[in-house]
Amino acid sequence: MTEIVVSQTPPMLHGPTEKEKKYDRQLRLWAASGQAALESANILLVNSGAGTVGVETLKNLVLPGIGKFTIADDALVNEADLGVNFFLDESSLGRLRSECCTKLLQELNPEVQGDWFPKEKGPLDLANVLETSPIFTLIIYTNPIRKEDLATIEAYSSQHRTPVISIHSAGFYSYFRIALPGTFPIVDTHPEVEKTADLRLLNPWPELVEFAKEMTRNIDALDDHEHGHVPYVVILLHYLEQWRQSHSGENPNGFKDKTEFGKLVTRGARTNNPEGGEENFQEAVAAINKNIKAPELEAGVEEVFNHQVSDEAELESMFWVIARAIKQFYHKHGCLPLPGALPDMKAQSSVYVKLQSIYKAKARKDAQEVLETVRASPGGKDVDPTEVDLFCKNARFVKLINAKPRQLNLSQVFDTEKASDEEAEAMKVATCGAFSLPASNFFIYLALTATAHNPAATAEEIVSTITNAVPEAAGHERLWQVAQEVARAGGGELHNISAITGGMVAQEMIKIITKQYIPIDDTCIFDGISSRCQVLRL
Amino acid sequence: MATTAASTGPSRWQYLDKIRRNPGPFNQDSDVGDEALAAQDKAKILVIGAGGLGCEILKDLALSRFKDIHVIDMDTIDISNLNRQFLFRQDDVGKFKAEVAAAFVEKRVKGTKITAHNGRIQDFNEDFYMQFQIVVCGLDSIEARRWINAMLVNMVDMEDQDSLKPLIDGGTEGFKGQTRVIFPTLTPCIECQLDLYTPRAAVPLCTLATIPRQPEHCIEWAHIIAWEEQKPFPNLDKDDPEHITWLYQKASARAQEFGISGVTYSLTQGVVKNIIPAIASTNAIIAASCCNEALKIATTAAPALGFEESYMMYSGDDSIYTSTFKYDKKPDCTVCGEVAKPLQVDPKMTLKELLDSFALKADLQLKKPSIRAEGKTLYMQFPPSIEEQTRPNLEKTLQQDLGLDVGHEVVVTDPAFPTLTFRFILSFV
Amino acid sequence: MLKIWSMKKEQQKAENAEGAGGKKKKITAAQLRVQKDLSELSLGSTMRTIFADADDILNFVLEIKPDEGVYHGGLFTFTFNMDQNYPHEPPKVRCQQKIYHPNIDLEGKVCLNILREDWKPVLNLNAVIVGLQFLFLEPNASDPLNKEAAEDLRSSRENFRRNVRTSMTGGSIRGTSYDRVMFNRA
Repeated sequence: MTEIVVSQTPPMLHGPTEKEKKYDRQLRLWAASGQAALESANILLVNSGAGTVGVETLKNLVLPGIGKFTIADDALVNEADLGVNFFLDESSLGRLRSECCTKLLQELNPEVQGDWFPKEKGPLDLANVLETSPIFTLIIYTNPIRKEDLATIEAYSSQHRTPVISIHSAGFYSYFRIALPGTFPIVDTHPEVEKTADLRLLNPWPELVEFAKEMTRNIDALDDHEHGHVPYVVILLHYLEQWRQSHSGENPNGFKDKTEFGKLVTRGARTNNPEGGEENFQEAVAAINKNIKAPELEAGVEEVFNHQVSDEAELESMFWVIARAIKQFYHKHGCLPLPGALPDMKAQSSVYVKLQSIYKAKARKDAQEVLETVRASPGGKDVDPTEVDLFCKNARFVKLINAKPRQLNLSQVFDTEKASDEEAEAMKVATCGAFSLPASNFFIYLALTATAHNPAATAEEIVSTITNAVPEAAGHERLWQVAQEVARAGGGELHNISAITGGMVAQEMIKIITKQYIPIDDTCIFDGISSRCQVLRL
Repeated sequence: MATTAASTGPSRWQYLDKIRRNPGPFNQDSDVGDEALAAQDKAKILVIGAGGLGCEILKDLALSRFKDIHVIDMDTIDISNLNRQFLFRQDDVGKFKAEVAAAFVEKRVKGTKITAHNGRIQDFNEDFYMQFQIVVCGLDSIEARRWINAMLVNMVDMEDQDSLKPLIDGGTEGFKGQTRVIFPTLTPCIECQLDLYTPRAAVPLCTLATIPRQPEHCIEWAHIIAWEEQKPFPNLDKDDPEHITWLYQKASARAQEFGISGVTYSLTQGVVKNIIPAIASTNAIIAASCCNEALKIATTAAPALGFEESYMMYSGDDSIYTSTFKYDKKPDCTVCGEVAKPLQVDPKMTLKELLDSFALKADLQLKKPSIRAEGKTLYMQFPPSIEEQTRPNLEKTLQQDLGLDVGHEVVVTDPAFPTLTFRFILSFV
Repeated sequence: MLKIWSMKKEQQKAENAEGAGGKKKKITAAQLRVQKDLSELSLGSTMRTIFADADDILNFVLEIKPDEGVYHGGLFTFTFNMDQNYPHEPPKVRCQQKIYHPNIDLEGKVCLNILREDWKPVLNLNAVIVGLQFLFLEPNASDPLNKEAAEDLRSSRENFRRNVRTSMTGGSIRGTSYDRVMFNRA
C-alpha cells in the first residue's frame, strides 16, 4: 500500500548563490556552519626569520574565506625573501614585508580583510598591536622569535584564552605546536560513515520489535519477491529471536556463536531461484559481526564522561551541560541516545522508508529526553535544541583534546622515543628488513627548538643546548645527525617544506575554528627527508 | 666554497643553496659541485594539470629554482575553482587554466620560464614527453594517470639514458592525500598500484529503476534513466545549471513519490559530477610534498621517495597521520610487467610465415597464435567472424602490405597459454 | 640529478632481460586485454560476434539466438564498447532492439550486476556474455528494470510467455509497441 507522505514543499527553483558556488568544494566538508565560523575568525600572524611558513599558512586560510588576518612583522624585504616567499615580488624589495605580503594575500579573496603592523618602517611594538586590535581568535607565530615578543603573546593568550600555534620550519624539517587554553571538546568529529551505523539489534525498542515481528510473522509464507526484499535488520531481529529460544534466552556471543548464527541465517535464505540465494540474506550475514555486539563506549566518550572539569568557565559551557545530561541518559538506559541513521539495504522503498522513520522517531525521542534533562539542569535553560540534536547524533564519537596533562619532562619523552627506535631497529633486523617502523621525529623537535632564538647555531651548539636540558641525549647518534641537518639549513626555510607545514597548520586551524574534525594533540613534527609526520603530546 | 653573493648581501637562493651546496648527514656522497648543480638549471620539468594541485606545483617548482617548466591542462577556469586554485581570479573565469597559471607564476618569480599547453595529454606524442627530465602530475582522473604512466614506461629505452623519467604523482580528497614517486620500469608503476584506487561504489540499475531508497538513488535515476528517456536537451552538460536543475527537479519529484527526503541541488550536482571535496590546505601539502621529492631527485640534497618507500599517504581528518609504504612491482603488470622482446623478421615475409615460425621456435611452440599490432588486428583465430575478416592478411607481407615497421609492437596470444601474452618489438633483417 | 640510469643498468644486468630499444609503437593495455578476452570467448552455437572494423576490437556487436526458454526463436543484438579504462571499468553493453524483458529497459539498458556494481577487473568478456545468455533463459522478476514485465512474470508465467511472444513478433503490450525480433530458420 502506498504510504501517505508528509507533503514536501516543491523544490525551490533558485540554484546556489555566487558564494555557494565559489565555496562549493569546501562546503561539502564543513557545511555552512563551519563556513560561518571561519568567516568570523580574526587571525594574527607574528612573523619573523625567513618568514614564509606563516604566510603560506595564511594563504590556505584566505582562500577558504577567513574573516580577517593581520601580519605583524618588521622585516624589510630582501633578495633572499624573493627566493622563498611567493607573496612578494621585485617591487617589494626594501619595503615592509608585512605590508607587501598582506596586499598580495588579499588579492586571493576580496571577501577577506587584511591588516599589517608596523605601519611604518621601524621596530614592531607587538604589545601595542595586541592592545589596539579587536580580539584575536587565534595567534600563530614563527620561530625564530624575540623572547620579549613571545612573552607578550603568552600574556595575551592567558588573558583572553586565545589558542596559540608556534611554527618552526628550517631546511627539510619543521614542527608546529598548538597551545589551547583549556580542554577542547569536539562534537562534530566527522567519523567515517562505515563506523557510524548503530542498529541496536541486541536491545531494540518496542516499535522496532513490533515492526520486525509483523513482517516476519509468516516469513515462510511470503512470496519469493517479498521474501527477497525483507530488510536485513528485520531478518537479523527475526533470527535473533529464534536463536534465543534455543539458547536459553542468550544472544550469540563470541566468534563461535556468531559463526553458528550466520549459518542459521543462511539456512533461512531461499535457493530455489536462478541466483541460488538471496541478496538480503547475504547482507544480513555480512552485517552480523559489526552489529551483533553489546554496546560499548568508544574511548573518546568515556574520556568525556570521566573528565573532571576544573575550570569554572569551561564548566558552564553548553558542551559540558549536554555531556552531563547524556551521561545521565547513559546510566539510566545503558546506552547512548540513538543516532537514528539507517544504512542502505536491500528492501522495497516503502518498507525501507518506514524502517527509517522508526529509527528517526526513536532518535528524536532520545534527544527530547536529553533536552529535558539539559533544560532542568543549571545553565541549561536556554539551550539550543539543535545543539542537543547534534550532540545526540554524534555522541559515540565526541572527543576531548588537550585533556591529558602535558609531558613536561623531556627526558622521559626522550627515553620513550629512544626505546621505540631501538625496538623498531630490532624488528628490522629480526625480519631481515621486511618489516620496519619509522624512526622517531622527536629528535628533530629537540634540534629545532634548540635554534628557536638562534637560527645560526652549529651542530655542536645544538647538541650542547639539548644535552643541557636532556642529559640522556648525550652521544645519541641520530640526534647528532639531526643536529647536523638543522645546522646545514642555517635557519633558512625551504619553500616546499614551509608550504607543506603551512598546509598542515591551516588544516589544524580550520579544525579548531570550525570545531569540526579532530585537531592534533598537540605537536606535529615533520621530516621532509622521509616524508613523515609524527604527533606527540609535549 | 663560499658563495660570491655572501659579500654583497643576501642572494635570492641563499636558503636553498644551503642545502644544495652543503652535503648533510643523509646525503654524504652527493655531488654538490657547480657542474652537478648546473644540471638543475638546465632541467626541463613537466607539470600535468593546472588545477588545485597544479597551481601549487607551479609555485613550488618555481621557488625550488626550476627554471624551465611546462604545464598541460585542457580545462578552463570555473568559479568553484577559486577557493583553492590561487593563481586564478574572478575575472579569469572561462580562460584556459594552463595559460593563466603559467603567466601568473612567470610574472611573480623572475627568471622562471613557464610554457603553457592548453590541451589534453593525449594530444602530445613521445617526442614531446622525451624533452623533460621529470614529470609531476596533479590530476583528478585515473584514466589520465594511467595514460601518462603507460607513456613513460614505454618510453624507457636501454640505448638512451635520458629516456627514464621519474614520475611524481599527487592526489587529494578532502583532508586526505597521497604522493607517489615512480621510476618507470624500475619501481612499481601506477598500473601495479591500481587497487589503491577504490572504484566508485555503484548502485544496481534495478534499484534505481524500481526500489529507490536514498536521495542518491533518485538523482542517479534522473541522470541515467529519466534523462535518456526524455532528452530535455540534446547533450547533458554537467556544468550547465539549467541541465542540473532539470535533473534536480526530476529527482525531487521521484523522491517525493517514494517518500524519500534529502534531495538538494547541491547533492544533485555532487552525485552527477562525482564531486570530490577539495580545499587549499590539502592541495598545499600534497603539491609541496611532490615538489620536495622533485627537488631531492634533481639535486640529491636528500634521499627521495621511490626505491625504498614509494608512496606517502596523508590523512588529516582525525589528528594527522602519514604513512609511507613500500609497494611491490607486479610481475604480471600489463604496463611494466612483461618487457617486450626484440623480434627480428624479414619485412618481406608473409604473416602466415611469421605465425608458422612461432610454432617452430623452441621457446614459443605456439600452435594457434592470434596476433595484433597497435590499432590493427593482423590475425585472430577466434571468434570466427574476426578470423574470417582477418584471414586474407595471412598472405600479405609484413611491411609493404600490412604496414608494420621497425619499433612496432606485436602481441601474440594462444589459447594453449591462457595466462600469457607474448609481446615483441619488431626489427627488420 | 639522482643517478637513476646506473640503477636501471644494474637491474637490467640482474634480470638478464633483453629490452628493445628505439622508438616504439606500443599496444594499449585495454587492447591487449580485449585481445586476450576474445581468444578465450566460448560462444557456442547460439551466439556470434560482428566486428564492423576488425582493427577496432574495442567495439563489436554480439548476436544471441536463444535456443530454449521464452525468448526461443528471437534474434537479439548487443553493442559492446570497451574504453581505454577497460578492464578497470566494465564494458558498456546495450541491447539494440526494444524488447519486453524484466531486466532490459526500453532504451536497451541491461540490469546485470557484473555490468555495474559487481564488476571487477578480474572478470572478462566471457563472464558478461554468459550473464547475458542467462538473462534470456532465466529472466529475473525480483529486481527489474521493466517493472510491468516483471510483475507479469511474477503473477503469471503463462501470461508473461504470451506477452513475450507478442512482443517478439512486433506487437504491442499495454500500448507500447516492441521490435520484431523473430528470425526465420531457413
